[in-house]
Amino acid sequence: MKTIHITRYLPESSEIPFVQQFDIPADDSTSVLDALNYIKEELDPSLSFRWSCRMAICGSCGLMVNGKPKLGCKTFLRDYQENITLQPLAHLPVERDLIVDMDVFLTHLEAVKPYLISDDSLSTEPNKQTPTQMAKYQQFSDCINCGLCYSACPQFGLNPEFLGPAAITLAHRYNLDSRDHGKAQRMPLLNTEEGAWSCTFVGFCSEVCPKKVDPAAAVNQSKVESAKDMIIQLFKGNL
Amino acid sequence: MNDRTTENMTIKPKKNHRSSEPVWWALFSAGGVCFAVFIPTAILFFGFLQPLGLIDFSYSQAHNWFFGFWGLMFSGAFIILPGFHAAHRIRHGLHDLKVQRHGLIKVICYGLAGLISLLTLGIWFTGIIS
Ligand code: SF4
Ligand code: FES
Repeated sequence: MKTIHITRYLPESSEIPFVQQFDIPADDSTSVLDALNYIKEELDPSLSFRWSCRMAICGSCGLMVNGKPKLGCKTFLRDYQENITLQPLAHLPVERDLIVDMDVFLTHLEAVKPYLISDDSLSTEPNKQTPTQMAKYQQFSDCINCGLCYSACPQFGLNPEFLGPAAITLAHRYNLDSRDHGKAQRMPLLNTEEGAWSCTFVGFCSEVCPKKVDPAAAVNQSKVESAKDMIIQLFKGNL
Repeated sequence: MNDRTTENMTIKPKKNHRSSEPVWWALFSAGGVCFAVFIPTAILFFGFLQPLGLIDFSYSQAHNWFFGFWGLMFSGAFIILPGFHAAHRIRHGLHDLKVQRHGLIKVICYGLAGLISLLTLGIWFTGIIS
């Protein structure tokens, strides 16, 4: 048996969130998501939370487990003591119970033009790439858009206009791709205060990332790119 | 819980304004290297070895040494760059503590570092020409 304390928010019945306690039968294979499903099926059907794949692929089951951003399906009760607290992801507006509004996050992802931009849109040739060229960005392409890094980032918490770890990582991933020619279009955004430069290299984003994407590395490599861009534009007389 | 409202956090489209941060970040990085490599040697030298009498470094020796090429290097590596490094840390530290006057803090932090730099270079330069 484990005791789970869940921060609940039901806007139609109360303006104020409250904490509800549940006792869950648990064995070594019980994940936090299993526990939530048990509660919904057996104890309280009104509990709301997101999930889909159950295997750390879809990125929809993010929540705070004892104050740390985690994927519910990849976190197991066996790794915790008797008491476990579950809260919605930090730094994002709560819609209901454990469901947060991801709009800001998605807007940021979209803003960096996360797709291959070709220099010749009429070409029908396939985009060839060697394994070495692919290795340059592969790690950064493993992101599942779970948003855990945004909950971990104190700078995003202070200023939601900061592009944030995953979006900058995505921009960097395409900038590093040999098939892409869109870097010049992405740099102006990365060069801003809300781009790469709001990051103070706390590094917690990389610690919580469930796919080992290491967004902190991507953000700091983007700072180097942005600094290089500044020098190049300075010499070109564009500044 | 007050900071988690369901209000829409809309992102205003803004003009892409290039940040001046690369300049401060470059000084911060250079200063960080100095802090890690040079400052400990200064502490060891002036804080321990010299007071303990393990090395002999007289005032006139120091004076002659400082007012030359190596004095300028010393000023940069031990005073000016670490100064900008510290200023950058204090500035971002205050931001983390939610102090809002970003512009003013920036001017005060880098202004102080700049002032210390000018003072150092001024002392070095007057020593050189006298
Ligand atoms: S970088 Fe990692 S933590 Fe951030 S959204 Fe992608 S997978 Fe999730
Ligand atoms: S349910 Fe898909 S990542 Fe957890």
